[in-house]
Amino acid sequence: MAASQDNLDTLSKEGAAQGVVTQNNRKSYFGTLPIRYARIFLLHFQDVFQNRSRSFVWFLLSLLNPLVVLLFWRGAFQNSSSPLGDWTYNAIAGYYLLLVIAGSFLQVHIEEDIARRDIQLGFLSQYLMRPFSYILMKFFQELPWRIIQGFFGVLVLLLFSFFIIKNGIVLVHDPAQIIASIIILVLAFSISFLFKMIVGISALWITEFSGLQELIGVVDIIFAGFIMPLALFPPFIKTLSYVLPFAYMIYFPIISLLGRLTTMESLQTIGIQVVWLMIFGIIYRMMWQRGIKKFTALGQ
Amino acid sequence: MTITVSHLKKFYQTHQKEPGFLGSLTSLIHRKYQTVKAVDDVSFEIKEGELVGFIGPNGAGKTTTLKCLSGLLYPTSGYVSVLGFTPFERKNAFLKQIALVMGQKNQLWWDLPAQETFLLNKEIYEIPDEQYKKTLDELVELLDVSDLLKVQVRKLSLGERMKMELIAALIHSPRVLFLDEPTIGLDVVMQKKMRDFIASYNQLHKSTILLTSHYMEDVRQLAQRVIIIDHGKILYDGKLDNLVKKFAKYKVLSVVLDTYVAPDKFKEIGELTDYNFPKAVIRVPRSASNVAAAQLLEKFPVDDLNIEEPDIEDIIRDVFTSEGKL
Repeated sequence: MAASQDNLDTLSKEGAAQGVVTQNNRKSYFGTLPIRYARIFLLHFQDVFQNRSRSFVWFLLSLLNPLVVLLFWRGAFQNSSSPLGDWTYNAIAGYYLLLVIAGSFLQVHIEEDIARRDIQLGFLSQYLMRPFSYILMKFFQELPWRIIQGFFGVLVLLLFSFFIIKNGIVLVHDPAQIIASIIILVLAFSISFLFKMIVGISALWITEFSGLQELIGVVDIIFAGFIMPLALFPPFIKTLSYVLPFAYMIYFPIISLLGRLTTMESLQTIGIQVVWLMIFGIIYRMMWQRGIKKFTALGQ
Repeated sequence: MTITVSHLKKFYQTHQKEPGFLGSLTSLIHRKYQTVKAVDDVSFEIKEGELVGFIGPNGAGKTTTLKCLSGLLYPTSGYVSVLGFTPFERKNAFLKQIALVMGQKNQLWWDLPAQETFLLNKEIYEIPDEQYKKTLDELVELLDVSDLLKVQVRKLSLGERMKMELIAALIHSPRVLFLDEPTIGLDVVMQKKMRDFIASYNQLHKSTILLTSHYMEDVRQLAQRVIIIDHGKILYDGKLDNLVKKFAKYKVLSVVLDTYVAPDKFKEIGELTDYNFPKAVIRVPRSASNVAAAQLLEKFPVDDLNIEEPDIEDIIRDVFTSEGKL
């Protein structure tokens, strides 16, 4: 059997017995690929759906921070008559409510699973033994979590927009801006996913994974816009946050949805997101190739 | 040849640390490295459809060899070929034809019925509907688990879960199967069921199976051929029967006595290994067993006498303790 039989689809039953392999035609392979992925996604969705109560608890935890901060702002605005530029109380409230959705829908949490279960406990072996890409499998594992949590986020938005904000939130309504926002959201999720994949597989080298995770958590809270809109930060921190990748995972999708990006700014954001995506893509690829060599050299 | 292994070596570097805080400090500056020879110059070939048992104590190099063969580890040196592939390249066409089952690792979704994991594997291995249905039906029947398919995995017993793990691993009808301790942690009844399954699966599919175990019973009942490995080296490779003939230097005489005989009287016959009147067990050199039996019948009040091969576990223990002298 030659190594050139890389793209085989199926082994025919008789063929398998005789050591002969038949090849399905390529056309049908590409035709069934989306269906195959959809099935794999749905199976993972079932698993997460089974855990929806756990998912809800996690969601409630992520809710805590923005809502507490929002209460603080509410007090601040009552005592002070001078608004922060164009950031009115409604805009601020809208920001934090969207932050809830962005945090639950866009913030990928795959790194701990990769580091602790796959790498430290050695479950990575099983993924390596399957004829399926590891990163793609992790993507299918993570996506259902984000969808379910994002759904909770939307529920909260609807609920609170009645109570907290009297005049409603102003969201993006220009069609071109809506399309730009969707692109920014998809790219934000992709960057976040790749970034967390990198953090996760760094456990192949770092034994003290918790430390790294904590550090990234803190940096993320500051520079992704979890504390307050980055536009309100002092110029230095603001500039720094626009250079780092974190804002492009959370902050820019939010202000894009709030309709605060001009067309030019939207394009610029998308451009920077694509650059980060490529950088992370290259870093991940390099780390994966080296890491897997290390993993298979030492074994688990 | 389905599997060819030639001069396979797998060495690890591990660093040693002296005990205590001072040891930690010293190891920061000066680390002592030690080379562990997990597999040291191992060669063998396995034909299609063979069922081979890999035995040896913990840390002998069984699992390491299995991992090299399945592509999880890349060898330090040597040549490995499985189904014509180089395992550690892990090409999809290779992975679709093998399976590695590790008794202590699970792949089933915990909160869902096992069936959902089977369906996931169907997609991953791109198994056509018809073939999937046929294979699943067959495995479910062989393992007798038809009523468990829809039960959440977390609610299954360890044995039931192991059966489901096997189905998940075999659903793509692998041509080569690596089983690492398939019966570990199972009770005696379940161990037997698992063995029966492996034997009938091997006969039915003519698949090549390499299994490791430290339960002798697994190997005795399943494998026609055994490879004994210790400290990374092969000590024996051949039929189980020949192992007994070749390495058992003695036979065992089991006697039932009519009247009591003082233990030291047996000295002239052989080594008394067990005496619990009226039963006595005496070890005698293999070549002298007939003479010894005749002597026993003549000089002792024997009611019943049996000449037996020594226990296979004893032989293997002897092999391990006297290794290198074979």
